[in-house]
Amino acid sequence: LISIFPIQLDFWLAPRKLGLPVDIRVPFRSLQALKAHLKAVGVSYSVMIENVQALLDDERMEMLRSSRQLARDTTTFNYAAYHTIDEIYSFMDMLVAENPNLVSKLEIGRSTENRPLYVLKFSTGGTNRPAIWIDTGIHSREWVTQASGVWFAKKIVQDHANNEGVASILETMDIFLEIVTNPDGFAYTHTTNRMWRKTRSKHAGAICVGVDPNRNWDAGFGDAGASGNSCSETYHGPYPNSEPEVKSIVDFVKSHGNIKAFVSIHSYSQLLLYPYGYTETPAADEKELHELAAKAVAALSSLYGTSFEYGSIITTIYRASGSTVDWTYNQGIKYSFTFELRDTGRYGFLLPAKQIVPTAEETWLALKVIMEHARDNLY
Amino acid sequence: RAMELPPGHFPAARAAAAALGYLRYLRGGPGRGLRLRELRRARRQDIDDVGHKYYLELELEDVLDKDSTVSCTAEVLYHLGSKSSAPDVQVTVQGELRSTEQADQEFYNWIRSLEKELVAENIPDSHGNVPPELEPIHLLAWVASGYVIWQNSTENTKLHLAQVKHVKQVKRSDEDLQFDFVVLLHEMVSQEVLPWQVTLLWHPQHGARVSQSRAAGAGS
Repeated sequence: LISIFPIQLDFWLAPRKLGLPVDIRVPFRSLQALKAHLKAVGVSYSVMIENVQALLDDERMEMLRSSRQLARDTTTFNYAAYHTIDEIYSFMDMLVAENPNLVSKLEIGRSTENRPLYVLKFSTGGTNRPAIWIDTGIHSREWVTQASGVWFAKKIVQDHANNEGVASILETMDIFLEIVTNPDGFAYTHTTNRMWRKTRSKHAGAICVGVDPNRNWDAGFGDAGASGNSCSETYHGPYPNSEPEVKSIVDFVKSHGNIKAFVSIHSYSQLLLYPYGYTETPAADEKELHELAAKAVAALSSLYGTSFEYGSIITTIYRASGSTVDWTYNQGIKYSFTFELRDTGRYGFLLPAKQIVPTAEETWLALKVIMEHARDNLY
Repeated sequence: RAMELPPGHFPAARAAAAALGYLRYLRGGPGRGLRLRELRRARRQDIDDVGHKYYLELELEDVLDKDSTVSCTAEVLYHLGSKSSAPDVQVTVQGELRSTEQADQEFYNWIRSLEKELVAENIPDSHGNVPPELEPIHLLAWVASGYVIWQNSTENTKLHLAQVKHVKQVKRSDEDLQFDFVVLLHEMVSQEVLPWQVTLLWHPQHGARVSQSRAAGAGS
């Protein structure tokens, strides 16, 4: 072969003896001729890798992505990659430093392992304006949510700078965004167990670690739809708000007193959900919430055709007690929604990084519908 | 006497997941991965002394041929009371699925030509990456986990393959390929991630068969 094909054939598994296979990387321009030659002499072959260059390109991108140098500013930050907690916290500081008149960082508490719980506040002024709350990453393995939260933060700043999109909302309302709502769990998904969901608390008498932060709220706490077993992924914890990650938000919401829309973001399943999860009794505002969800889902779908189902938690996904938006709704925050982002199970929690930005972009359209409705229907 | 179900409500979605598991086991392969695009219609019939039967109209897509759309109907019968028996599933695919003969043969030849038995882990990895040459293995894991999902589905579960933790090829003296998988299944209602060991035999003409499967001990 080497004598017939003067142009390099690159043997990845060199010829050793008769009967043993040989692997060859074939330059594109030799491909046709080599295939024809093998056929003519009756040598069978199979293609192991269609496009080596594509693999190399992917690997190089991956190496650039994974080279753990912190980005220097939010323009060079890679939104199409998954980041560590340090990288996200560094992003927040850069965003604040670049936009001091719009963005500030609040510490609303500390996690069980003493990590700071940070909320970004986007405000053009006023005093205690009616506000929108968005949280991502309350379940740590749902990586596309924290990654989307980072994108949302940048998007808000960009819209404001270009006087488009949510700029008009920011004239009369503030936006609060908690990107890493469960930092202990998130760190654990990086270091130890990619599938970790809960917090990392260890309560007296509990055999296992961690409480499901979306079963720990004081709405139907402990009812059917959560587990009393600490080893369960839906363990509700020893009492409501036992988790500092939850209590800090409860305290914030109560002391703020003027939050009008509350959105908690999860993955996966492609659903937009409203209360209740702990009871089959429909929410008093169900009709309005259902219609608003329909509009939000239509907006989301308009971008890439991603289809979402929508409805109350208990009819659409399962009975769940002690969940976030059941509590916020019962506090009087009418526009309380939970999202379950991409996908529907093909990759599940392990959503390819290249889907982060499309997911964030489409979700943002739905969020804008909800925010605009809240702005136009203040109560 | 079959009751119409809203496709957006969870009972229909759970039955569809069971049907999809069964269909992947039956018709999936290294060159074909079927995904549920849309649940068009669902009805449920409660049969006295037997169980609950779901009638589904599904729209599927081959992940390797995104523009393809295949319609199918499925019947899923969950037996009353019996927690240890798998639901009876029947699926009828309308029209033809794209042939995978060539891809199957190429994959078969490649594996047979390997000197060392193939070993891989974490497919996809934490970032959702699947190396292209391992995509056929990923799709065979769908076949293997499809069997486990079908066998273990109830009206109170919705199972998906979360990750292939480990796969090891085992060379055989007969013509089948054998892959020993450890897969992580995500159960939506309990939110548990459950490790399962599954041994899959596959041959391009004979198709796939799970020779053994069992829930593995608690993982890492």
